[in-house]
Amino acid sequence: MTNDALANQLAGLSVRLLHRLAKNRVPRHFRMGKNRLIQTLLELPPEQRAEVETALASLLQAPARPPQPPKPGKVDKPKRQPDAVSRPAPAEQPHSVPAKPAISIQALFEGIGVPPPQPFKPDDWQQEAIDRLATNDVILSVPTGSGKTYVAVEAMRRAIEADRMVIYTSPLKALSNTKLTEFTQIFGADQVGILTGDRRDNPQAPILIMTTEILRNLLYDAASGEIDMRLDTLGLIILDESQFLADRERGVVWEETIIFCPAQARLLLLSASIGNPDEIAAWISSIRSKSCHLIQHRNRSVPLRAAYLDPSGKLAPFFRTRDIARGRGFALHPETKRLFANYEDQTLSPRSKR
Amino acid sequence: MPPAIHPVDLLRVLRHQRLTPAIVFLTSRRACDEAIGSFEHRQLPIPPTRSAAITDVLDHMIAEYPSIADHPLIPTVQRYGVAAHHAGHLPSWKIAVEELMRQGCLDAVFATTTLAAGVDFPARTVVITQSSVRKDRDIMELTVNEIQQLAGRGGRRGKDYVGFVVVTPSPYIDLGPIANGLTNHPEPIDSQFVVSYPMVLNLLKAHSIDHIQPILEKSFAQFQLNQRADAYETKLDDVETQLETYGQRECADWIAQWQSFSLAKKRRSHHRRKTQHDSPEISAQLAFLTPGRAVELSKDHAIVLRQYRSRGQGAPMLTVMRSGGRIIEYPASAVTAVIDEVIDVTEARRFPWCTPQSLNHAIETLEQFPARLRRLPIRVDQDGADNPILTETLRDEFPCPTCPSRPACQKDHPQALKLRQEEHRLTKTIHAMRTELWHRFQQHIEVLQKFGYLTPTCQLTSEGDWARLIRINHSLLITELIRMGAFEGINASLLAGVLASIAHDDDRPASFAGRQQALISTLGQVRKVAHSLSAYEEPPLLRLDVAAIVDRWIAEPTLPWSELIRATTMAEGDIYRLLARTLEYLSQLHGLRSTHPGLADIARDAMDLMRRDVLQELP
Repeated sequence: MTNDALANQLAGLSVRLLHRLAKNRVPRHFRMGKNRLIQTLLELPPEQRAEVETALASLLQAPARPPQPPKPGKVDKPKRQPDAVSRPAPAEQPHSVPAKPAISIQALFEGIGVPPPQPFKPDDWQQEAIDRLATNDVILSVPTGSGKTYVAVEAMRRAIEADRMVIYTSPLKALSNTKLTEFTQIFGADQVGILTGDRRDNPQAPILIMTTEILRNLLYDAASGEIDMRLDTLGLIILDESQFLADRERGVVWEETIIFCPAQARLLLLSASIGNPDEIAAWISSIRSKSCHLIQHRNRSVPLRAAYLDPSGKLAPFFRTRDIARGRGFALHPETKRLFANYEDQTLSPRSKR
Repeated sequence: MPPAIHPVDLLRVLRHQRLTPAIVFLTSRRACDEAIGSFEHRQLPIPPTRSAAITDVLDHMIAEYPSIADHPLIPTVQRYGVAAHHAGHLPSWKIAVEELMRQGCLDAVFATTTLAAGVDFPARTVVITQSSVRKDRDIMELTVNEIQQLAGRGGRRGKDYVGFVVVTPSPYIDLGPIANGLTNHPEPIDSQFVVSYPMVLNLLKAHSIDHIQPILEKSFAQFQLNQRADAYETKLDDVETQLETYGQRECADWIAQWQSFSLAKKRRSHHRRKTQHDSPEISAQLAFLTPGRAVELSKDHAIVLRQYRSRGQGAPMLTVMRSGGRIIEYPASAVTAVIDEVIDVTEARRFPWCTPQSLNHAIETLEQFPARLRRLPIRVDQDGADNPILTETLRDEFPCPTCPSRPACQKDHPQALKLRQEEHRLTKTIHAMRTELWHRFQQHIEVLQKFGYLTPTCQLTSEGDWARLIRINHSLLITELIRMGAFEGINASLLAGVLASIAHDDDRPASFAGRQQALISTLGQVRKVAHSLSAYEEPPLLRLDVAAIVDRWIAEPTLPWSELIRATTMAEGDIYRLLARTLEYLSQLHGLRSTHPGLADIARDAMDLMRRDVLQELP
C-alpha cells in the first residue's frame, strides 16, 4: 500500500481506533493527536508497517465490533465505566451498530410541551402500595414528584372509610401547612386537623397533620399512660420525607416514632430515592408484627434531560445521550467538555489551576 | 468571561428555548435576592396579561395572608414574572410564591440549594449552578441524594412531556459530581440515633430498667450495628478456624507463654544494653582511646585528645587532632585502627583539651609519623558469652528454653500471635457494637441520677416526673434552671427572651439595637449554669440579640411586625422561625401546669402576647 493510500485510510479512522493501532507499536502514542499519530504510523519500520496494514484491514472489514465508549474527559471520574465488551450492551446500543454519535442540541430540546389532559390512571406500583397497606407496612422509595402523595391520599381515604384515624407527619412546619391546604381541598375542612407545638386546630378530625416531633411526643405520652389522644383508633401513620431518618440532629425522632408506632396502626413511609430502602424495610419488618413491604423504582414519570449553559449563553447537551442513564456511568457531551474546559481556563487564575 | 451567567441572560435563554418555568438553585440567600434585583436594571418585562394574572393570584393570597401585602418584591414579581424563595422569607410569602408557581404564573424562582427539601413545587426546568454547598461552616460536595433531590423538581407530572436540568457554571462548580449525582444510584442512609435525657426519662417512666435494653435493640441504629457485627462475626469465625491449627502444645496456652518468655528475654537484653550498649568492638577499643593515643581515621592519622559521651544518645565520642592541627569531634566508631603509639599529652579542662605546649608537641609528632605504623591488635569479646547467662536466669521462670517444642513455637509464634490479637480485637469490637447503645443509655442514667431526676433504682423522682415533659434540645439546662428558681417572678417577655436565646442555634451574624439590663443579667446567670452543665450537655449559643428581639416583641404588644424587622439585621424568615421556636419552648413550659402553675401561667401569657400579626397567620 502506498503511503498516501494508507494515510487516507488512517485519516478516515477515529482517533480511538488509531490509538488501538498504535498500541505496542508507537511509544507514548496516547500523548499524540490524530495528525501526529498518522504520521508516526506511516514512519514505522516496514515489518511493523505491514502489521498495521493487516490490523487496519481487519478493523475495516469487521465493523461489527463496537468501538469502546469514549473515555471520560478530565472532569469526570465515573466509578463504573460502561464497557461494551465485558457487559451486555444496553438495549438502545445493540452490538451490531457502532456507538451513537453524541446527540445534537436540537434533538435534546425536541418534544418540549404540555401533554393534553389525560384521565388519571394510577400506576401499578401506586395501586400495589395501596393494596399492600391493608395488611402490611409499606415503604415507598421513588423519585421526587412521581406520585407519592396519591398513595398517601388513597390510603387515607380507605382508613377514614374504615373509621380509622390517620396521622400524617412531615419534617417541616412549612410542608405541614402546604399539606393542610392540599388535604383540606380533598377531604373537606372538617376532616383535617393540624397539631403544632403550641396550637391545635381541629384535633378531633380523622386526619391529623403534625411534625414528626409532635407525634413522637404523643407516643411517649401514650406509653406512660397519659393518653390524651385516641391512639387506639389510629389506623395509619404516614411519615413523609422519611429520608430524614438520616438527618444528623433529627433522625433519631423518626426512629423513635417507628419503634413506638402502635401495633395496630399501619406505617406508610414515603421517601425520596435512597440507596438502601431494603435495609430499612428489613429493619421495620424485624421490629413489627407484620412484614414491611418495599416498593421502589427509579423511573421518573416525566423523563429528565440535561443541558449545559455556558456563561456566554451557548447551550450544549450535558451528556452524549439524550436521556439521563442511571447507574451505568456517564459520558459528558464533547461540546460541554470543551465549553467547560474553556470556562475553567478563563476563570481560574493560573495559580489555582489544577 | 464572567464567572457566571447573568440572571437576566439566563432567563432570556430559558424563555427562548421554552424551558420556563424554572427553579434556579443558587448558593446563598443574597445571591437569590440580587438575582431578583438585577431584573430592575435590565428591563425584561412580561406581557400585561400575565402581570394581571400574577396580580390576581397575589390579591387572593394577600386576602389570606395580610403580612405579604407590602412585600418589597411584589412589584418585581408582577413586572418580570420572577421571584425569590428562601429561608429568609416569611412562610406566607413562600406559600404565595409556591402558589404562583403552581398556577404557572412565574417564569423563574430563585431558591437556595440548602433548602431543597423545603422547595415543594415542580417546574419544567431546574438550573444547577454549584456542586458544593456551605454546611456548618464547611464547604461540602453535594451528595447524590441531594443532587437528585434538586433535579427531582424538574418536569411536572401531567404538565410536561419532558423535564430539564440545566447546568450552568459558577465559581462553586465542578461537572464531575453533578454528572455523577444525576446518573448514579443514591447513597445508602445511616442511622443517626442519639440518646437524650428526655428519651431516658420517658422510657423509664413507661418501662422498668430491665425492659430498656430490648427497646434500644429495636432501633435502626442497633439493626445496622448488628449487621456490621454479623460481618465481623464471620471474620472472627474465620480467624478462630485458623487458630485451631495452633492448638495446645507442651503448655496449654503456648502463645501467651512464648509471648511472655520473649518479652522477658527482650527486657533483660534491653536492660543489659542500657548499661553497656556499645558494640563489643567499640567497647574493646574504648579502653585504649586515651588522650595522646595515635589512631587511624580513614587512611589518615590522628591523636586522641579527649574521650567523652554524647549528650543525647550517650554514644562514645572522641575529640581528635588531625594533620595541620585541626581539632575535630568524631564518634568512636570512626576509628578504623588503634596505633601502637602514645605521645605525651597534658590534659586540660577546656578546648583544645590539652595545654598549648603539648598541642604543639602533638602537631609536630603527628607530622613526623611515617606512613605506616604498627596497629594495635585488639581482642574483641564475642557477645556469645552473655547469652548463657540470660538463658540461665530465664530458665528458672520459664520452661521454654529447654522445652522440646521450642523450635516450633519460635517459628509459629509471629503468625499465631497475629491471629490471637485479631481475635481479641474482633471480639472487643463486636462486644462494643452489641452494647454501645445500652452503654450510652447508662451514661445518661448516671447523669440523671446525679442530678436527682432518677432514683438509684432508676425510677423517676418527683423532679424527673415533670422534667420528662421538657422534650426539646438543652432540656437539662432548662429543667435545672426551673429547679433553681431562675424563672421565679420573671416577667413574660424576659422568660421568652431567655428561652429564645436557648432555642436559637444559628450563628448567622445579626445585630439588634436596644438591650435592657434585666435581660443581660439574666442571660449572664443562664450562661453560668449552662457552663457548669457543659460536661453533660452542649451549651446553647445564648445570643443576646435574639433574646432582645423576642423580649421586645412581647414587651411591646402594639409593635407592628415591620418595625421589629427594621430594628434588626436578621432576615424576616429567621425572626419568624425564632419566634415560632420560642413558642414551642414556651408551650413545653406551659405543659408543666400541674407541677409549676406559676411558671406555666407566665408561659401562657408570653404565648398569648407573641401570637399576633404575622405569627397568627399560620398554624
